[in-house]
Amino acid sequence: MDIDEVKAQAGPRAFDPSDDLPEEYRKAATRMIQFHANSEIMGAYLERPFIRQAPSIDRKLAFSAKVQDEIGHAQLLYRAAELLGVKTRDEMLDELAEGTGKFLNCFHYPMTEWAETPMIAFFVDGAAMRRQATLKRSSWEPYAHAMDKVCFEEGFHVKHGEDIMRELATGSKAEQRRLQEAFEEWWPRIIQFFGPTDDKSKHHDFSSQVGLKLMTNDQLRTAFLNSYIPKAEKYGLEIPDEPRITYDEETGRYEVVEEDLDWDEFFSIAKNEFEPGRGQIDTRAAAHDAVKWVRDALDGYETSTRSGAAPQAAD
Amino acid sequence: MRWEVFRQEEEGGYHTHCGDVHAPDAEMAKLFAQIQHGRRKPTHGIWVAPADEVYSVDADETVFGGSTDKSYRWATAYNVDASHAQEVADSEAEQREAEGRRGES
Repeated sequence: MDIDEVKAQAGPRAFDPSDDLPEEYRKAATRMIQFHANSEIMGAYLERPFIRQAPSIDRKLAFSAKVQDEIGHAQLLYRAAELLGVKTRDEMLDELAEGTGKFLNCFHYPMTEWAETPMIAFFVDGAAMRRQATLKRSSWEPYAHAMDKVCFEEGFHVKHGEDIMRELATGSKAEQRRLQEAFEEWWPRIIQFFGPTDDKSKHHDFSSQVGLKLMTNDQLRTAFLNSYIPKAEKYGLEIPDEPRITYDEETGRYEVVEEDLDWDEFFSIAKNEFEPGRGQIDTRAAAHDAVKWVRDALDGYETSTRSGAAPQAAD
Repeated sequence: MRWEVFRQEEEGGYHTHCGDVHAPDAEMAKLFAQIQHGRRKPTHGIWVAPADEVYSVDADETVFGGSTDKSYRWATAYNVDASHAQEVADSEAEQREAEGRRGES
């Protein structure tokens, strides 16, 4: 297949590993899915400390289940990426450890306070879910399949995140104040979740033409704002003055003034040059390294049993 | 030898186990599978795999997730309104259905 044929045939779940796809498609899909997989891992590492810091046994169990889910999503996604034949799973994990693997802007910021947890568990996960629901119709079938399971599980994550927010928002004055402070700190980052505006997006046109992506960054961001601003207001959160957000009475839709956002910081994060993010990459790399002996033992076992196995019966 | 057959109904859908065939090799297995399992029902694709090469584990040998009450991992456990986002409501509906089947098998 050449690129023109791919564009002509592009549609929901149109291509699978049996198709002979051009390198340009396979590379674009790898970049997108690898980014997604890396983000699942980095997000899980950011939330992991809250298994210990959870204020109750219910929250502890839920965070533990959630972190487990996110690591599982990464496994599904690396498989979907690996099937494109561009990079192996090990190569992608190594790139993440070395700091060349890219991931979501929000997961480059430290999260230390309990009141911050709904910022990721409700807003960022909600934003991710909005995007992931559209990716069930991605043209790379293994990616779309992975989204079926991911979206099934994410409903719990988002509702759990909202439940924490509800608890804080209806709690003591101090809890309400801490929630508002966390919201003000995280709000611009959350809006930047969907990436640069369409005119600054490097990869959108191609990814959209070959059916990998279904909606533009701007469309997704606007859809997110329109669902989640009313939620924030419902819990009494005050939307910060900046970035400015306009409400169009006629269409009933919110729009953000993009120039109010810190795009220098965003693009330095995109290059893995933002300091807290670098620390988080290294922390995860060290944790990954600490259990290398487990992987080595499994690999050793696999090799020893394989060599002793009888020849395959097929054919 | 025996081959397990997995049928995919629509393009992009899951291959679901639908039965097996006897055949001397993979080529013949594909042919028989087409005739036996892809002839009457709408079919987009078929996989065949040597039955000996399919390994299984069942509920007698292990305890699978989803059978014990872990309500904290279901969207339905959290009393907040998900109607602001269709995709969250959809996920909750899928989970409600799966949770309803808990303990059936």
